[in-house]
Order: sequence, then structure tokens, then C-alpha cells
Amino acid sequence: MAGVSTKEIKNRIRSMESTKQITKAMEMVASSKLRRAQAQVVASRPYFELLSAAIAKIASTGQDFSSPYLTVRPVKKTAYIVIAGDRGLAGGYNSNLIKLVMSEIEGKDAAVLPIGKKAVDYFRSHGVSLLTADYALAEEITLGDCFTLAKSLCKQYLSGEFDEICIAYTNFVSVLSQTPATRSLLPLQPEKDRSAGSSDILYEPDSTTVFERIIPEYLGGVLYGALCESRASEQAARRTAMDSATQNAEDMIADLSLQFNRARQAAITQEITEIVAGS
Amino acid sequence: MNSFSLKIVTPDGLFYDDKAQELIVRTTTGDLGLLAGHMNCVAPLGMGRATVVIDGEKRYAACIGGMVSMMDGQVTLVPTTFEWADAIDVNRAEKSEQRANKILSDKNASDTEIRLAEARLKRALVRKSVANFK
Repeated sequence: MAGVSTKEIKNRIRSMESTKQITKAMEMVASSKLRRAQAQVVASRPYFELLSAAIAKIASTGQDFSSPYLTVRPVKKTAYIVIAGDRGLAGGYNSNLIKLVMSEIEGKDAAVLPIGKKAVDYFRSHGVSLLTADYALAEEITLGDCFTLAKSLCKQYLSGEFDEICIAYTNFVSVLSQTPATRSLLPLQPEKDRSAGSSDILYEPDSTTVFERIIPEYLGGVLYGALCESRASEQAARRTAMDSATQNAEDMIADLSLQFNRARQAAITQEITEIVAGS
Repeated sequence: MNSFSLKIVTPDGLFYDDKAQELIVRTTTGDLGLLAGHMNCVAPLGMGRATVVIDGEKRYAACIGGMVSMMDGQVTLVPTTFEWADAIDVNRAEKSEQRANKILSDKNASDTEIRLAEARLKRALVRKSVANFK
């Protein structure tokens, strides 16, 4: 009989089949979650963009005042908000983002605020200092949490605990493509062309108060936007990964079936030869 | 009456993107009314009723947090939450009010809990009062 026994091949086919069923199911779950997450991204994007545009405009026209949020201090300590996933099996989703963050914080005095179980676990086991691990479940964070978090970060920023706040998240480009990115949140960097537009803006009650009220809101909004993008990216990445896993399983099953049939055929042929030779 | 273009956007999506004649919102320092031709201005929002006049007809909404800006004739309202009066869930507001009151009357509640409950109570009261303006 040729090489492997038919029984062994049969067992492997069976185990492959059950793995395929799991990956197939995971793909389907991810697709349905993706649809929901995608709708959320589409809904939150205009808010995200308008808020950023409004802040940029105010910051670029407001030469007449200074705010701690606008002043660039020498950076001693940086805070990184890292939004990853809660679960693995999502292709390179978690590892790509974490790799990016690790390369950025190398050599810097940085503290990480991880969101998502995978990020919490990774940074904890690699001895990176954590701000808080309260936001371990990325799935469950609400808009309200984002604002609370933003407010406390602003307070810490103002008290000088950090001189820079960055956010690392995964940009949802399309269902097939997601790119990890980092973005600096504070201090705000106003756009260079200060000549643009009229600079006469009425601030109610005054510019400093307006800025101090709006910045935490803005930060919360950005955080929520980034969270939506990341969630959609996670589901999309998982869907793609599971789709190719299912594909691989199918290919392997096809190969194994062929091997199985050959082995079976060989066994039969051998038997016939033996009977014929014996008579 | 002259009209201006108004955009209302929240994290949940775009609520309104069209012409309006008047907008009154509650800012942190009191009500602010905007008409066409107002100078550029920016104000943070408090919690309260927003009134939008569209084609002479008044529409009310509960509008909480965020900011309003008037830039070159374009008004952008970016609140944290925004609900038209007819879309407010009064039952939910009622329940939320009761829960907040319970926490506030609890002597063992921590400072953060009290702060959150106060904010929740305020939101619930705003929603309830705006819902009467249908």
C-alpha cells in the first residue's frame, strides 16, 4: 500500500472539515458585525471631520490668544492611546498596530493607554508603563466613556503629566484594506496658512473659555471616531483572514481527497493482483 | 426672512443639512440666537432646548454638549447628543431620572458617582421638558 494509510488520510480530512466549519462560521459572524460597524463609521465620519475642521479653523485664526492646548512644550513624556481588538484571529490587525506603536515609543519616555484586551495583554507583558487598564474591552466602550476619558486626559495634560498625547488606531480604508496609523492629538498644531480667511471671530464668552470647553469635547469626538474606525477594521481584517483560512482548508481537503482516492485505488489494485496471482 | 445654511452633526450621524432662518441654542453662558448675516462666532454648548426655524415653522430639540459655530454664513452645530422633540423617548428619560435620584439620595455614593448622576439627571430633565414642546 502506498505511503499513508487510507484511515489516516480520512481522519485528517475529517479534522480539516471541522476546522473549516469553524472558520466559515467566524467569517459569517465577522461579516455581519462588519456591516454594523461600517454603518457606524459612515455615520460618525461627518461629525469627526466637521469638528476637526472647526477646531483647525479656530486654532489657525486665533493669533490673539494663547492656550496651553496650543503651546508646544519640550516633550518629556508622551501618552499613547492605543486602540486594538479584544480577540485574535484577525490576521495582522493587532500585531501591525502594536508593531507600529512599539517602533514609535522606542527610546521615548511614554505611557500607554491601551484599549482592547489584546493591547492590554501585550503592553503589560512587555513591561510598558500603562496609564490605566480600565478600558480593556474595546467592544463595550460607549460614547460617554470616550468623553470621560478625554476629560481626564485633558486634565492630566494641563497639569503637566504629559507633554504630548498621541492616538494609535487602524484606519478603515475599505473592506479589503486597513492601515494602522498614529496621530498627534495634543498639543494642537494649527495649520500654517494663517493668512486664510477673516480672523474676526466672536467668542462667547471669551476665547480661552471656549477653547477650554471645546478641546475635551473635540478629543472625545476624535477618540470615538478612531474607535469606530478601529472596530470596523477589526471585523474587516477578521473576515478577510477567516475567508482565506476557509479557502486554504478547502484546498487542503481537495488535495487530501485526491490522495485518499489514490491510496484506495492502490489498495484495490494490489488486492486484485494478489488474488489473480494466487489462482 | 433671510436664511442661512445649517448643518447639525452628531456622532450618530447627520441630522440636518439645509437652509434655516433662525437658530437658538443654549450655550454654557445662556441662550444664543443666530440669524443670517451674524458675524463669525464660536460658542460651547450647554444642556438645553434648541429651536430651529425652518420655513417659518419652529422645531424644537434637546441639544446637549458640543459646540456651535458660525463661519462665513455657514452655521455648524456639533452637539454630543441631539434629539428632535418628537423623537425623545420620555419613558427612558423618566427612568434615567429615577435612577439618578436614587444615586443622589444614596449617602454612600462616591464623588464620581454623584457627578455622573447629576449630569444624568440634568440630561433627563432637559429631555423631559423639551418633549413637551412637540
